[in-house]
Amino acid sequence: MNEKTSAGRSVAPWRASRKLIGFLFVLPSVVFVLVMLVTPLCLTIWMSLHKWPLFGEIEFAGWRNYSKVLADVQFWKSLWFTTEYTLTVTPLILGTAFCLALLVKGGYRNVGLFRTAYFLPVVIGFAASSLLWVWMLNDQLGIVNRILLDLGIIDAPVVWLGRKSTALLSINLSIVWKVVGLSMIILLSGMQAISREIIEAASIDGAGSLRRITHITVPMIRRSIALVLVITVVGSYLAFDHFYIMTRGGPQNETITAVYWIFTNSFTYFKMGYGAALSMILLVMLLVLSVAQIRLLEKNQHG
Amino acid sequence: MTLMSREGSNPQIYRLLDEWNANHELQIRATLVPQRDFMTKFGVSLAGGVVPDLVAIDLIYVPRFTSIGQLIDITDIVQAMPFADSLVPSHMRLSSWQGKNYGLPFAVEASFLLYNKQLFRAAGLDPERAPLNWEEIYDYAQRINAVGPDTFGFYFSGACGGCAIFTLAPLIWASGGDIADEAFTTSSIDSAEVRAALQFYRRMWDAGFVPPGAVVDGGENFTAAFLTGKIGMIASGAFVIEQLETNYSHLDYGVALLPGQHGGAASFAGGDVIAIPKKAKYVEEAREFLHWFAERDVQERNYAAFRVLPVRLDLAGHPAYANPAMQVALETLRIGRTPMTPKYNDLIGDLNGPWSLLIQQAIFGDDMQQAIEDADRRFQEIMDE
Repeated sequence: MNEKTSAGRSVAPWRASRKLIGFLFVLPSVVFVLVMLVTPLCLTIWMSLHKWPLFGEIEFAGWRNYSKVLADVQFWKSLWFTTEYTLTVTPLILGTAFCLALLVKGGYRNVGLFRTAYFLPVVIGFAASSLLWVWMLNDQLGIVNRILLDLGIIDAPVVWLGRKSTALLSINLSIVWKVVGLSMIILLSGMQAISREIIEAASIDGAGSLRRITHITVPMIRRSIALVLVITVVGSYLAFDHFYIMTRGGPQNETITAVYWIFTNSFTYFKMGYGAALSMILLVMLLVLSVAQIRLLEKNQHG
Repeated sequence: MTLMSREGSNPQIYRLLDEWNANHELQIRATLVPQRDFMTKFGVSLAGGVVPDLVAIDLIYVPRFTSIGQLIDITDIVQAMPFADSLVPSHMRLSSWQGKNYGLPFAVEASFLLYNKQLFRAAGLDPERAPLNWEEIYDYAQRINAVGPDTFGFYFSGACGGCAIFTLAPLIWASGGDIADEAFTTSSIDSAEVRAALQFYRRMWDAGFVPPGAVVDGGENFTAAFLTGKIGMIASGAFVIEQLETNYSHLDYGVALLPGQHGGAASFAGGDVIAIPKKAKYVEEAREFLHWFAERDVQERNYAAFRVLPVRLDLAGHPAYANPAMQVALETLRIGRTPMTPKYNDLIGDLNGPWSLLIQQAIFGDDMQQAIEDADRRFQEIMDE
C-alpha cells in the first residue's frame, strides 16, 4: 500500500514539474511577445481612438480619426507612391538576389569572399547607407556623376534626387544594394537544399542550364521565394529611413511614403492619435497582402 | 542639471557652461539635439515629464510652448535687469505671451546679404557698393555668372523652408508685403509682394544664376556653398562671419542689408531663446543662470571675445564688433522681424508643409499661380484649425 501510494504520488508531481519546466522554457518568449508586441499594439489601438496631442488634453474621439483618413489626400497619395515603390523595387530585389544566389552557389574557390561581399551592406544601418548614397549621388562631388561623365554617358552632372523619376530610381538602386544580400542568402539556402540527384538526372535527360533553372530550381525553392517576397513587400511598404534622409519627401512632396506620413503626423504635427489610426490601417493592409501572397504561392504548389 | 539645445546654433554654449561649472556646485550638462529632431525630442520629453532644467528653443517655436503654458514665467527676472530695453527685440517679442515674459535671447542672428568681393571685382562691379534693389541683384548676378563656367551669381537652399523664411521673407517684408497678417489669422501668400519675390527667385533660377544642386539642398549647403568662393551673393547670417574670419580669411567678403523690390531693407531675426520648462527640477538654479549669463562681463567674455553677437544691443560698441560686417549684423538685430504664431511648425518649419512646398513648386515647378493658390488655401486651413 505504502509503495503504491508513494509511486502514485511521485508520478503526479513529476508530470506537474515537467509542465512547469516547459512553461518556464517558453516564458521568456511569451513575456517578450507580450511586452514588445501585444502591449504596444493594444496601446496603438487605444491611441487611435483618441485625440492624442503629444502634450495637452487627451480626448476620446471614437472613430473620428478613422473617418478623417478618408479625406486625407496626402495619405492616399503616399500610399499610392509606396505601392509604386514596392512594385518597382520588389522585382529588382528578387531578380538580383536570384542571379547573385546562382552566382555564389557553386563550390569554386573564394566563393565565400563573394558571398560576404554581397551580404556586407545588410549589416549597415539604413541611415548610414542613405547618407552614403546622398553623397555618392551629389551633383558636384558625387562619384556616380563623375563616373558617368568620364564614360561620356551624360554631358552634365545630374541632380539625381531633384526629380521624382530619377529620385525613385536612385533610391531603388541604393535599396537593392543595401538589402539584396539577405534575400540572396535565403534563396541560396533554398537552392542548396535541392538534392543533387534531381539536377543530375535532369542533366542526363538533356536539360540545359536554363531549363534546369526554370523547371527545377524555381519550383523547388518556391517557399524561399515566397519568404523573400513577403519580407520585401512588407519591408517596402514600411519604407521610411531612406526617404526621410535622401529626399525628405521631396521634390515637391512627391516621395512621401506611408510611414513617412505617419511619422510626420505623429512627430511633426504631434497628432499621435491620428498617426496611430494610420498605422492600424497600414497594418491591416499588410496583413491582408502577406496572407494573400503566401496563399497564392502555396496554392500554385499544390495545383 | 541639464540644458537642452539644438546643435550648431549656440557656439558659446560650452564656454558659458565651463565658466558656470567652474564657479558652481551644481553643474550644468548640455544635451545637444540635431536641429531637425529638436521639436520631436523636446516635445517627447515634455510629454514624458522628464524635462531639462533649461532649454534653448529656436525662437520661432517659443509661442507654441508659451501658448500652452509649458514654460515658467520669468517676468520678474526681466524687470530686474537694468538693461532690459536693450535685449534683442524680436526674441523678447516671441518669448512674451499675454503680457508676461517666458524667455531671454540666448543665441541671436539675423539675415543679411553676403557677397564675394573678389567675384564683384572680377565682374567689373564696385565691391564697396552692394545691390540696393532686386533689379540690381539680378544684374549683378548676371555679370558674376559670366565670370566663368563654374561661378554662379546667387545661391539659395531650394528644399529648405526654414532657410527660405530666413532669406526670402525679408525680401517680401522690405517690399511692404507679408505672408500673413501680424496675428497670423489671415493668409496673404496669394499677394502681389509674395508673388513678386517668388518670381524674382525663379527668374534667377531659370537664368542659370543658381547652381543646379540648389533644388535638393535641404540646408546642408546653406553656408558651404558661399565658402567655396564660387558664389557671388547669398542671403545669410552672422554665424558665417566667424567662419569666414577664422577659416576662410582668403575670401574677401562684404555684407549689406537685404533690399526690397524697389529699395528699403528688412531682416529675419533667428536664433534661440532660453527658458525654463514647467516641470524643471532645479528651478531656482535655472533662474540664477538666466540672471547670470546676460551680465555685461559674462557676455563680453563668452560672446564678444569670440565674435558671437551679444544678446543685448548696448554692447554694440564693444571693440570685438568693430568689423563693418559685424556692425551690419548688429543693425539687422535692431530691424529683425520674426513671424509669431504657435502654428509656425505646421505652416513653415515642416519640411513637407505648405511653405516648403510653395518654395519648391513656385520656383522649380510648372505652375507658379497654382502653387501660390494651393499654399494660400493650406495656410488658411491650418490657421483656422
